[in-house]
Amino acid sequence: MKKVCLILAAVVLAAGISCSKKSTGGNPPPTPDPPEVPEAVYDETGCLYTSYKGLVMAGYQGWFAAEGDASERGWYHYRNGNCGGFMPGCAAVDFWPDMTEYTKKYPSPFSFADGGNAPLYSPYDEETVDLHFKWMKDYGIDGVFMQRFVVEIKNENAKGKRHFNKVLENALKAAKKYSRAICVMYDLSGCTSADVAYLEQDWEELQRTFSLFDNKTNPTYLRHNKKPLVVIWGVGFNDNRKYTIADADQLVTRLKGPSKKVSVMLGVPYYWRTMRNDTENSPALHALIKKSDIIMPWAVGRYGNDNYANVAGAELAGDIQWCNNNKVDYVPLAFPGFSWGNLRNDPSLYNSIPRMKGEFLWKQVAGAKMSGAKSLYLAMFDEIDEGTALFKCARQNEVPLNGNGGRQFVGIENDLPSDHYLWLSGQAAKWFHGESGYSATLPVR
Amino acid sequence: MKRLQYLFLLLAAILFGACEKDNFDGPTAGLSGRLIDADTKELLQQDIVRGSTIEIVEHGYDPVRPQYLIVKNDGTYENSMLFENMYTVRPVRGNFVTPEPIDIRISGKTVQDFNVTPYLRIQDLNISKQGNLVVATFRLQQNVIGNVQKIGIYVDKDPRVGEPMRLGQKEQTLNAAADPNTVYRLEYNPDEFKAQMPLGKSYYFRVGALMSLTEAKPNYAPTVKLDI
Repeated sequence: MKKVCLILAAVVLAAGISCSKKSTGGNPPPTPDPPEVPEAVYDETGCLYTSYKGLVMAGYQGWFAAEGDASERGWYHYRNGNCGGFMPGCAAVDFWPDMTEYTKKYPSPFSFADGGNAPLYSPYDEETVDLHFKWMKDYGIDGVFMQRFVVEIKNENAKGKRHFNKVLENALKAAKKYSRAICVMYDLSGCTSADVAYLEQDWEELQRTFSLFDNKTNPTYLRHNKKPLVVIWGVGFNDNRKYTIADADQLVTRLKGPSKKVSVMLGVPYYWRTMRNDTENSPALHALIKKSDIIMPWAVGRYGNDNYANVAGAELAGDIQWCNNNKVDYVPLAFPGFSWGNLRNDPSLYNSIPRMKGEFLWKQVAGAKMSGAKSLYLAMFDEIDEGTALFKCARQNEVPLNGNGGRQFVGIENDLPSDHYLWLSGQAAKWFHGESGYSATLPVR
Repeated sequence: MKRLQYLFLLLAAILFGACEKDNFDGPTAGLSGRLIDADTKELLQQDIVRGSTIEIVEHGYDPVRPQYLIVKNDGTYENSMLFENMYTVRPVRGNFVTPEPIDIRISGKTVQDFNVTPYLRIQDLNISKQGNLVVATFRLQQNVIGNVQKIGIYVDKDPRVGEPMRLGQKEQTLNAAADPNTVYRLEYNPDEFKAQMPLGKSYYFRVGALMSLTEAKPNYAPTVKLDI
C-alpha cells in the first residue's frame, strides 16, 4: 500500500512539474501596458483667444472667385451651373455685396438700373480679405471659422485646394493684423468615407504649411481646453451621406491622437439630442459628441421669426443642460435670415426667412443668451448664396438688375445702412462679452 | 328554487376561490432625492399644490402606466412603497428644463438627485415693510426662451405658501421676456387682506414668477417671515 502511495505521489509531482513548465514555456509573455503618452502641451504665451467661451464668431465661406482673378476659377460660386453660368437671369447668389470700400473689384456681367456695371470681389485677393477682417474689428466680431470643404481640397482638385489655401493664407495674415480669432472648419458635405480619412492628411499639411499652432506666427488661432481647435462639420445628419458616424468617430480619434493634440468642435444637426427630424437615430452620435469638446447644432432653416420661440424654446435649454451634464461645451447658432431663390431657380424662395430689420437675428441672440449659452456662432459672414450674409450688402434699391424673367437680387432693407447686420453682430458680441444694457429688445443704433 | 340556491352557492364558491390571497410580496423599495439648481446647487423650491412631479415607469410591463411622485416645497421627494425593479425616472411638469430620463434599479432605499436648470431665477430679492405696504424688489434671470407670464408676491399663515396656496397676493402680468436690466417691484397692501389675515401677526411671504410655457410651474425665491 505504501508503495502505491509513493507511486501516486510521484505521478502527481511529475504532472505538476510538467504543467508548470508548460505554463511558463508555452504561453506568450503577458503584454505590457502601452507606455502612457504624455498629453500635448502648447505654449499659449501671447495667444489672444485661448477659449471659445465668451466669443461671438462667424462662419467665413471665402469660396467666391471672380473672372480675371489669379485663382483662374471664373465666377466660382457666383455662377449657377443649373441655368448656364453667371449672366442676367442666372446666378447662384441672392444678395449682392456693397462694393463701396473694396479696392480690388472685377466687372461682372450685371448692371445697375442706371446702366453702370456692378462689380464683385474675390477673396483670392489679399486686400479683400484684409477689408473683411478690418470690418470684424471695426464692428467687434471676435473672429471667423474658415470653411474648408473636403471635396474641394483633394489633391485631384488642384485649383480648389490652391484657392482655399490662398484664402486661408490671406485670412491668417489679416487675423493677426486685426487681432481677430481664426479657426479651421472642415465641411464633410459630399464626402465619402475615404474623403473623411483624407481630412487628417490635409490637416497635417495645413499645420506644417502655415505653422498653425505657432503662438508667434498665429497668435490668434483659436484654442479651447488648452489645445488648438479644429471643427468637423456635418456629423450625424440623416440625409443619406456617403460617410458614417463611425467614420467621423475614427477621424476624431485620430485627430486627437493618444496625446490629445487638438480640441474638436463638431457641427451636428439641430435635433441631435432627441435624434429625430434631421438627425440619424443612432446612439453612436451621442457617444461621439461625448468625445468632442464643443458641439454646434446647425439651426439655419430650422425656424423663422414666428416659430422661433416654439422650436428653439423646446431645444436650446435642453441641449445646454444635456451638454452641461456630459461636460461638452455648447455653441448655438444665429443667422439673420435666409434667401436662395437664385440658387434654386425659384423666385418663391426669395427672402424665404425674412430678416425683419434684424429682429429675427436679435431674437436668436437673446434666446441663446437667456438659455445659458456662453458663446455664439453666426452664420455667416459672407454667405450670399443662401442670403445669410452679415457683411455689408447692397440695399434693396441698390441691387443690380437680374434679367427680365422674374429673377432679382435681394437687398438689405432700404431704410437700414448696409452695415446694419455687422453692427448688430457686434452688439451681440458685446453682450456675450458681458457688457450690460442688453435684453431681448432689439438694440437701437 | 333549490336549483337556484345551488347555483348561488356555486357562484359564491367560485368568487371566494378567485379572491384567494395572492402570494406576491409587498413593496419593499423606495426612491427619494432632490431637485437641485445646476448652477447655484441650491434645492429648487416648488409648490406643495400642483407642483413638479417625478415620473417613474417600471420596466417589464407592456403597456405600463407611469406613476408620479410629488415633489415637496423644499425640492425633495420620496416614495417608500415601490416594488424593487428597473425604472425609467425623470422629473416632469415642473419649473425647470426637463432633463433626460434615466434608467435606475430601485432597491432598498435608492436615492436619485437631479441637477436641473430652473426656468427663472429670482435674484437680489428684498422684501421689507415700507409704511403700510410690504414691498418686494428683485431681478429676474431667465434661462429659457419665451415670455414671463406674471410675477407675484404670495402671503399665507402657512410657510408652504405659493401661487396656488395663498390667502393674499399681489401679481403683475408681464407677458414679455425678462429684462436683466430691470429691478422688478411688487407692492402688497396688507389692509386688502386683513379679513383673512388680521394685522399684528406674522405671515409668510414668497415671491414667484411664472414662464409662459406649457405645464410650467412658478419659480420661487425663499420664503420670508414678516410681522404685519
